[in-house]
Amino acid sequence: MLWIITCRRLKRNQRGVSNIIVVVLSLVIILAIVSNIVLWNYEMNQVDWEKMRENVTITNVENVTYGFQFTFENNGGLTVHLVSLWIINSTDHQRYDISVFINSAATNNYLRDDIYFPTGNYTVKVVTERGNVAIYSGISN
Amino acid sequence: MRKLSWNRRGITPVLSSLLLTVIAVAGMSIAVSATYVITDGLHDNMGERLIVEDVWFTTGQVSLYLRNVGKVSIKVAAVYVNRTRQSFTSLELEENNHGWLNVTYSWSADSACEIKVVTRSGTNVVDYYMSPS
Repeated sequence: MLWIITCRRLKRNQRGVSNIIVVVLSLVIILAIVSNIVLWNYEMNQVDWEKMRENVTITNVENVTYGFQFTFENNGGLTVHLVSLWIINSTDHQRYDISVFINSAATNNYLRDDIYFPTGNYTVKVVTERGNVAIYSGISN
Repeated sequence: MRKLSWNRRGITPVLSSLLLTVIAVAGMSIAVSATYVITDGLHDNMGERLIVEDVWFTTGQVSLYLRNVGKVSIKVAAVYVNRTRQSFTSLELEENNHGWLNVTYSWSADSACEIKVVTRSGTNVVDYYMSPS
């Protein structure tokens, strides 16, 4: 009985309803902003964390019968996607688009027959999709 | 119909309710727009990641090969070489895109250059590079 009376009183007395609506809407907006920022921050932290875990090295560059063979080693805990290959000497910086996936703890040989290789001192660079760089220096005849 | 047009009692509450509704909707629209603008700016700021793949010193200029490894597109706003602002070719990179950024700079041989690339959202990438001898 008391419950019914209280409900009726509440239904009749509508003072303060607008305040409640304003507070609820403000809370919804604040929640939307905060959740958006937190989720985005979490995603970018994940990107940075994955980048830090990458560890790729160029172990060998060899002139073989059908071109040049590059040996890449992935010592990190994640699969690596190589996207750029650079052949650099004192006069030229050549860039080649590549797409090589290397599993964790795996070694991969990559053969290219269209690469012009300079004589003398050279540097080979590979860039991963996450933004890490591996460098190898050598001398070719 | 005539009765209705003569009887104007009750119009004021209707008008006031209508006005309040319009004000409330306008207020909410402004609040939602402000939310979008604020979070969009923060998104851009937090989502930018940029790397310098290569630096090439040629006569009268330094070329940097940039790659966008972030989650939003980037636009280069300023380049500083040894803390001095230099002119450069405009460069805008979408997600996962890459390209040359040519900076006009008369470098001297065998010296270290501090090169800083600043984006429109304020992200900066700075490193030292040795010019060839």
